[in-house]
Amino acid sequence: MARKDFLDIVSLDREEIIQLLDQAEPFKDLFTRSVKKVPALKGKTVLMLFYEPSTRTLSSFEVAAKRLSADVTTFDVPSSSVTKGESVRDTIDTLQAMRADYIVVRHGLSGQPAAIARQTGASVINAGDGAHAHPTQALLDAFTLREKFPEMEGKRVLITGDILHSRVARSTSTILRKLGVKVAFLGPGSLVPKTASPEIPRFTNYDQAIREFGPDAVYLLRIQKERMAAPFFPSDREYHNLYGITDERLRQLAGQGTYIMHPGPINRGVELCDAVLDYDRCLISQQVENGIAARMSVLYGLKPQTS
Amino acid sequence: MSIALDQSAISTALSRLADQLFLDAGTDTIDLVGIRSRGDEVSERVAALLKEKGANVRLGVLDISLYRDDFEHLHENPLLQGSEIDFPIDGSRVILVDDVIFTGRTIRAALDAIFDYGRPAAVELAVLIDRGHRELPIEPRYVGVTLETDRLDHVRVGLMKTDGEDVVELTQK
Amino acid sequence: MNLFLKGGEVASENTAPARADVWIENGRIKAVGADLAEPEGARVVDVSGKIVMPGMFDAHVHFREPGGEHKETILDGSEAAINGGITGVVMMPNTSPSIDSATVVKRVLDAAKECRIPVLTSGCITVGRKGHEMAGIDGMKKAGVLMLTDDGDAVPDAALLKRAMEYGSEFGMFFASHCEEPQLAGPRALNEGAVSYRLGIEGTPALAEEISMSRDLALAHATGATLHIQHVSTAIGMEQIKWWRDERGAKVSGEVSPHHLMFTDEDIGDYDTHYKMNPPLRTAEANVALLEGLKNGAFRIIATDHAPHTEFEKSRAFEDAPNGISGLDTALVSLFDRFIDKGEFGWDLIVKRYSAEPRRMMELEVAEVAEGKIVDLIVFDPNGETTFTKEFMKSKSSNTPFLNKTLKGSVEMVVLGDEVLLER
Repeated sequence: MARKDFLDIVSLDREEIIQLLDQAEPFKDLFTRSVKKVPALKGKTVLMLFYEPSTRTLSSFEVAAKRLSADVTTFDVPSSSVTKGESVRDTIDTLQAMRADYIVVRHGLSGQPAAIARQTGASVINAGDGAHAHPTQALLDAFTLREKFPEMEGKRVLITGDILHSRVARSTSTILRKLGVKVAFLGPGSLVPKTASPEIPRFTNYDQAIREFGPDAVYLLRIQKERMAAPFFPSDREYHNLYGITDERLRQLAGQGTYIMHPGPINRGVELCDAVLDYDRCLISQQVENGIAARMSVLYGLKPQTS
Repeated sequence: MSIALDQSAISTALSRLADQLFLDAGTDTIDLVGIRSRGDEVSERVAALLKEKGANVRLGVLDISLYRDDFEHLHENPLLQGSEIDFPIDGSRVILVDDVIFTGRTIRAALDAIFDYGRPAAVELAVLIDRGHRELPIEPRYVGVTLETDRLDHVRVGLMKTDGEDVVELTQK
Repeated sequence: MNLFLKGGEVASENTAPARADVWIENGRIKAVGADLAEPEGARVVDVSGKIVMPGMFDAHVHFREPGGEHKETILDGSEAAINGGITGVVMMPNTSPSIDSATVVKRVLDAAKECRIPVLTSGCITVGRKGHEMAGIDGMKKAGVLMLTDDGDAVPDAALLKRAMEYGSEFGMFFASHCEEPQLAGPRALNEGAVSYRLGIEGTPALAEEISMSRDLALAHATGATLHIQHVSTAIGMEQIKWWRDERGAKVSGEVSPHHLMFTDEDIGDYDTHYKMNPPLRTAEANVALLEGLKNGAFRIIATDHAPHTEFEKSRAFEDAPNGISGLDTALVSLFDRFIDKGEFGWDLIVKRYSAEPRRMMELEVAEVAEGKIVDLIVFDPNGETTFTKEFMKSKSSNTPFLNKTLKGSVEMVVLGDEVLLER
């Protein structure tokens, strides 16, 4: 029986993940046709409910839904004020009345999409909740890495940056580990919690991490100032010097053939220098393209309980 | 349950299809597009026969999962395997190949799908078995064998590569 | 009333339950002893195989009146207590308005007069629990308050708390602290650890409780105030109380809540808000340490921190949902099911820590099933079972992990003075 919702990676088993990745491939093939659209979700309504602004993820989901021929509506959420749980419940009742088949949710509170999923028969897709999960990002990351390494087992990915506040770190490390990829975390001591996972090596020194872990790909996280009420490191400059991909570090990575990934949007001069974007093993734009195929695969694989 | 076609009957039907296609094509290239699943195997086997006759054949596979009209009624969406058509559809005379034609809905979906790949000069239909009971104005030009069935009968097609044996079973309801 | 409880096992704080009949007449216990002759005219209730013991007393409950009557009224809360075998409670002052003046105390105690059990209240240390000005301590004392606490918010200003202790102690009042260093506590949703990382919510480290507690204990020691530390959730916190009490002679005591003995942050699973309370559930190691502390006397009392919230409030996203677990209906049965029935400790411990000591702390007469005493007893059936449906629970709210679960043990009778408050 197919799932109703797509809320996190933790609850997926390896077979489900592989099926979602496999299904994303024919969708990606469609993008080379003149007609990129298929009628699979014709007559279905997909509602975008973004309590946190995100042009990139929102657009990616919109394109994915439209290429499946769904009708897409973006529900305008007041993003200025802190949105409280009560109004979310009321909003979902409204969306229920509109007979949405799929609700794509982004919310600042961890667990909010799960709470919504319990309230509605529509399929709920988590487009990022608090510091909890960003499962479609994880799926597109795994897909992108698999294109480069069809045999993923034993490959090594070093996730770098603000692990503490990152839902991407959580979901992407989880999906990669389920696929047999070895993951390590690197970042400032205040941003790489010791409680994260006993099985994920923790580094706070860049050179040591590269030397000892020997990554096939370095996954840079965005430094999310908006999630940091208090300072976790002295300055962007110091962060860049200690953990950013500088020209010198880029030369070293190029010498080792290491791939670079980033979920976007990037902070130039913080996580990376401009030259990274011209690096031939920088996968950032592939990640964006694959995001659409991965999200189509998710939308196609779910079964709303709306009829 | 009864055996409607055995291995030799299937073999005869495939040959008949190949003969008709060869006769019509003359020296033109024959573009076969098999519909997953089993239409692809039928098209491969017909293509092999045509090649023995010295015909030029190009082969493609079409996955119509995304074009089906019965999503709502399925517990789980069909597994996607993707289409593989390596020749340009634009201007081609495409021959869609399937194992059985029944209501015609699969072919309707296949027509939608093929047109999203390009604008063929013409589309023809070849089926191994015509079991009747159409619900749409769609008729095959090439038929391997015609089976008399009741509307509610269940026809199970087994093919060597897909199912491990060549057999067609008819179960009456 | 003339009642004869025949064939039960009478429990006390010092001895294991012993076979004895109990004869009750006109609100007093007339006789207790093995094989008493059935008195003439008495209603005889066969309680063979059941435990007859003093009513429990819960020194930490949140009734939401005034201000939050949709969650719980004083009357609802007192009925939940009776349902759970509890015959006296102390309210916390975090109502709206806060219980920070003689006026509000009187209003609360007036409402409590409707109840069938004594309902006492604590009072605030500072006005509105804001941590700025001292509340009207003399007035509250005259209205009947003994315990001063700012409840969920520790007094942030150590100097103010010190002065309040110096001042309030002279009125014979004692202090109670919910210990949490506010900056470290963060959003106060759950324990900091593997679970908070997995769920992506900033956790409250054990450290927040330990640091705050060490401040309050030192203040109590320095001022000579009597200080009660509420719902201790950490082993280090518990050890600090013991150290100040045993090594330094400070007049300090600690309290443990049933949920901190039974559950861990792992129980939160996929954002189950029934396991969201403050202080948060910690780890299995903490469960073990706290249980050991309860057995070896580190804790003076057990109290539920009964904190009702509506289903709607608890259905919100985990971070948005309020902290708290409803406890009065379930406490005694769950303690029996989890600990007594499994041989972890005996009935004497429950009577001491959940009946006698909390009453002593509140300077009340200790309830006993003994000749000449005023009747304040319950009958508990260890062979019975209880299913905590919404219908069964008398609390207005049902925010408990035990909702719709069946546990061993059942409160069969509650008798107070000349009245049978509950009989199943």
